[in-house]
Amino acid sequence: MNDLAIAAHQVRYEQKAYWRNPMAAVFTFAFPIIFLIVVGSSAGAAKVPGYTLRYDQYVVVAMLTFGLIAACYTNLAMAICTRRETGVLKRMRGTPIAIGSYMGGLIGSVLIVVALLTVLVVGIGMAFYHLHFPYHPGAVLLTLLVGIVTFSALGLAVTILVPNADAAPAIVNGIYFPVVFISGVFYPLAQGSVLARVADYFPIFHMIRALVSAFEGGPGSGLRAGDLLVMLAWAAGGLWVTARRFRWEPRRPK
Amino acid sequence: MPDDVAISVRGLTKSYGSFHALAGIDLDVRRGEVLAVLGPNGAGKTTAVEILEGYRTRDAGEVTVLGADPARRARSLRARVGIVLQECAVDPYLTVTEALTQRAYLYESPRAVADVVSLVGLDEKAGARVKVLSGGQQRRLDLGLALIGNPELIFLDEPTTGFDPSARREAWDVVRDLCAEGRTVVLTTHYMDEAQALADTVVVLAGGRIVASGTPDTLGGRDHGMTTVRFALPDSAGVGDLPLPAGVDVAVRGGFVEFAVLEPTEVLHALTRWALDRGESLAGLSVVRPSLEDVYLALTGDPANIAAPGEQGR
Repeated sequence: MNDLAIAAHQVRYEQKAYWRNPMAAVFTFAFPIIFLIVVGSSAGAAKVPGYTLRYDQYVVVAMLTFGLIAACYTNLAMAICTRRETGVLKRMRGTPIAIGSYMGGLIGSVLIVVALLTVLVVGIGMAFYHLHFPYHPGAVLLTLLVGIVTFSALGLAVTILVPNADAAPAIVNGIYFPVVFISGVFYPLAQGSVLARVADYFPIFHMIRALVSAFEGGPGSGLRAGDLLVMLAWAAGGLWVTARRFRWEPRRPK
Repeated sequence: MPDDVAISVRGLTKSYGSFHALAGIDLDVRRGEVLAVLGPNGAGKTTAVEILEGYRTRDAGEVTVLGADPARRARSLRARVGIVLQECAVDPYLTVTEALTQRAYLYESPRAVADVVSLVGLDEKAGARVKVLSGGQQRRLDLGLALIGNPELIFLDEPTTGFDPSARREAWDVVRDLCAEGRTVVLTTHYMDEAQALADTVVVLAGGRIVASGTPDTLGGRDHGMTTVRFALPDSAGVGDLPLPAGVDVAVRGGFVEFAVLEPTEVLHALTRWALDRGESLAGLSVVRPSLEDVYLALTGDPANIAAPGEQGR
């Protein structure tokens, strides 16, 4: 049996399960879109200092990032923690499926979700906030792809810290929310500010900056290789600890 | 290894820190056989079975499952083994048919999904999502998932816990059918009647050792044990009137006579003739060998058994 065909088959069923679970869809779609409408319509049409995008257009890009992180990092981590706790992962290891096919099914499902989210959020931006179609669509795609890899890897890695499914929301969100708030998701960071210097260490700020650059018109490819490298470093770190410490079974007192 | 051996274990040990979960296990399971693993909690059942399933590694000893070492976790082996764990491990948002279809795709020659749905008695729930199934129905789906890949060897960890009596009987029938098809079944259970009904061989684990093994009828010398005879004492007779051999310890409780003998044939013959001659009957007559549960409790309750070296598995 072809591992790739199995992964594709897994994607189908991951998608079925995904859309029937209201929580995941709410966090990934409803939140970014509500924020987009509320924050975007109050942000005004002034340009963000240092960018050619307006505030409301910046919010579109920021919310795309926000939704992508919900789809990759949050949803993936929650799904893994729940499945680990309920024995789904253990059970899966008892079947002949390759780990790559299983994880491929999960990530493939995330890809579909992010694609849909991108179309929706960018569509709203273009329809209501005069967002121009990305000047560098290739750079947008590549940045989104790096974002998916990075935040999926971090979603897998964070499950190592979660002792049981009850603790999952607190730990997963407890790590993520502070970083979201300091990374310029809800308002652009003033360049050189203290916050920007702190956010510089984390991947979310770099994701937004790279995406903004790909959306903006300007000379060059729109690619911000430096930002993508910072993200990939986080991805590599996440994958490294995942490979070493990932648990398929819940922690149980002996 | 001969072709008719499904599982072979020699000198298996496993420790967690200073705790010896398995202190040297020897075991053979023939193909087409049902092995029941009994033992109190903490006896090492789960550790032993999970080593056979490939979930845990061993410290020492030889383990062969369908000709392969399960610790290597080869896909070719996993494809031939079906596992039912204690938790119902299925995505709650898929339907019964979807869960089985998804799983079937992982195997080279799976059974037909509709057949498996019927086999585990979920026809009426085929289109229902897993999360709306009752606990017993989820367990049956679990069994179906273990069978979908057409496995040669099936591990069932307490497969009927939470089943109502009729569902248990149906599950037993499924297990019997699996054996009739030549598949091998290893089951752990706390129900003695389940072991009695299904197992060809029973092993009793206690303190990380096999303290007894044998068929359900001979386990722990059950076939050589004392047989208890019990009946209502006829109104017209006293205990002293009964034709019992000398030295038998007779108790009378609530109008019932009860005694235990090694070989009941002769004494029963004498008793029934005595009753017929007097025109009486032996109301409520029962002749009972020690139950599997009696033997089990004696085996696992005896500290000497736990300290003593385990008997060899067959």
